[in-house]
Amino acid sequence: MPPRLPFAQAAQCCRKALEVPPKQSSLVSLFAALSVQTRSASILANLSDNKGAYHKRIRRGRGASSGYGKTAGRGMKGTKARNKVNPWFQGGQTPLIFKHGQKGFVNHRAPVMAELNLDRVQAWIDAGRLDPTKTITPRELVRCGLVGIKDGIKLLARGKNEIKTPVDIVVSRASAAAILAVEAAGGKITTRYYTKAAIKNLVSGKSIHTDKPLPVGPEHVESVLQQARTSRKHFYRLPDPTSRWDIEYYRDPAHRGYLSHTLKVGESPSLYFKVPGEKPLVGKKSKKTADATEERLF
Amino acid sequence: MAGKGMRSLSEAMRGLSLAAQTCRTVPVRTAPLISRRSMATEAPVSNITRSVTEQWHPITTVPVTIHSFPSLEPRSLETYSAKHLYLPLRRDILHLAVVYEGDNTRQGTAQAKTRWEVAGSHRKVRPQKGSGKARVGSKQSPLQRGGGKAHGPRNRDFGTKLNRKVYDLAWRTALSYRYRRGELIVTEDGLDLPLPEDFLQQAQAGLLTRELEDAFIQKYVGEILGAMQWGKAHGRTTFITGEERMNLFTAMEVAGENGTALELEDVDVKDLLETGRIVIEKSVLKEMIREHRSDLVTTIAVPAKKKEITLGSLVYPYPKYAEN
Repeated sequence: MPPRLPFAQAAQCCRKALEVPPKQSSLVSLFAALSVQTRSASILANLSDNKGAYHKRIRRGRGASSGYGKTAGRGMKGTKARNKVNPWFQGGQTPLIFKHGQKGFVNHRAPVMAELNLDRVQAWIDAGRLDPTKTITPRELVRCGLVGIKDGIKLLARGKNEIKTPVDIVVSRASAAAILAVEAAGGKITTRYYTKAAIKNLVSGKSIHTDKPLPVGPEHVESVLQQARTSRKHFYRLPDPTSRWDIEYYRDPAHRGYLSHTLKVGESPSLYFKVPGEKPLVGKKSKKTADATEERLF
Repeated sequence: MAGKGMRSLSEAMRGLSLAAQTCRTVPVRTAPLISRRSMATEAPVSNITRSVTEQWHPITTVPVTIHSFPSLEPRSLETYSAKHLYLPLRRDILHLAVVYEGDNTRQGTAQAKTRWEVAGSHRKVRPQKGSGKARVGSKQSPLQRGGGKAHGPRNRDFGTKLNRKVYDLAWRTALSYRYRRGELIVTEDGLDLPLPEDFLQQAQAGLLTRELEDAFIQKYVGEILGAMQWGKAHGRTTFITGEERMNLFTAMEVAGENGTALELEDVDVKDLLETGRIVIEKSVLKEMIREHRSDLVTTIAVPAKKKEITLGSLVYPYPKYAEN
């Protein structure tokens, strides 16, 4: 900004704008009319944080005017005024924790899933940090900073109305609302079994991602061996589920599981419970007919 | 009274070429409303609202004039992003930065001896009972004369932390505050105080005593800065250069009542807000903003777009004819 001209020169050149009333009131009185006044040499004298940053400091036992004098907020006499009482103490009656005991246990073997919500995914896509044109696997999710490395990734539906971009995403698990939201936006979601070690291998490049299970059967042996002999780098394969719960989870088309294509038409994903069908139960009917034909006295 | 005062004040301020409101332009009225009364009913014409189809676009860049020193001749024009030099005034952010700098400047070396540090034996002064006097333990008790201090100052670190991006925002807010008020004067590189030739010759020849030299420099600086209205009577001036300029720095040390001179590495937010104005070299301003724009520059690698933030790009003289 150009340097300021002295006041006298300024008054001469800008006289047109100034309409001088007959009685010229001084600038001081005009300043007094305004609410914002400053008489300090610099702004340093008028700096302070916002009101909410300052809180009343409570110093107990320092006189009546503070509001916390004498008993200092402890009331009158009693153990709590003089000592500490355990939170579970019930005056001598057997405390609840001993009467009923503790409920349940903590399952330390349960897999801990990294939670990922749809609003975060959309924000990352908008910022250009996640590429929606390619398949989004745990490798991409970890490397762009959306999730950390845990036993798996579960896709949840906070922000289900915000997701607009069609994405092809593969995660460990997904909530029903998240599946609906992704498919409503035109995307595709698949759930696949991962372990923590598998995710680490994917991120470090020691494994190549695939949404198909390992091939089972002697007919696949030769091709896999040929692959292993020709490739220079060794890649660790991704594991498939072995526990009943996991197998049933990934066989379920409602979870968009990667094993759901192995189900026959009308088959239930459960390995134990069968869907009641049109075929009659084997054995019972033939027994009844045998009894009817036989002649019996009683 | 307040309304009348406001109108006359704004007119008086315009006459003195000072803005009554720093952030917006006040609509200019040539005569008071009362004198424009007519018989016909008129719909009031508002200067502020425009037509519905016109959109308002905020400013994205601001101009900075580069002057020569000490003649203050405008030599060129540069632009800076509004996010560098046209930030809104945030007093709370400035406060955070100034307090943070003050905390970290504290030495924290005040210390008082406790009862265990005061020299002397810890023998019980007199028996518990029987003397007829008050019971007393050791001579170093805080109750005793010559005893230790119970809760005195201890050697400690008063330093605090402030988010780097908040500190950088405070830095640029201070520069924006100065820019808005016209107290940021940017000069060409090589900012130095020109001393008279005959004085320099005499000083180098050793004809002047130290007191004479200092007195002359003090008077000279006082008169030069006084004439520019940059001196003691106008709030003092801070000169910021890239490296130490002997003439300027020794002169400001001697004539400290007129201002101060600092190198870029010694500047704090508090220094930017203290005196009446800041006179800074153009390359130093560029370097300063480059050092304090962490909240604008992202460290996340996004391969697609590259955002160009205007950092002192030359506007005038036209780059084709620029000397450097």
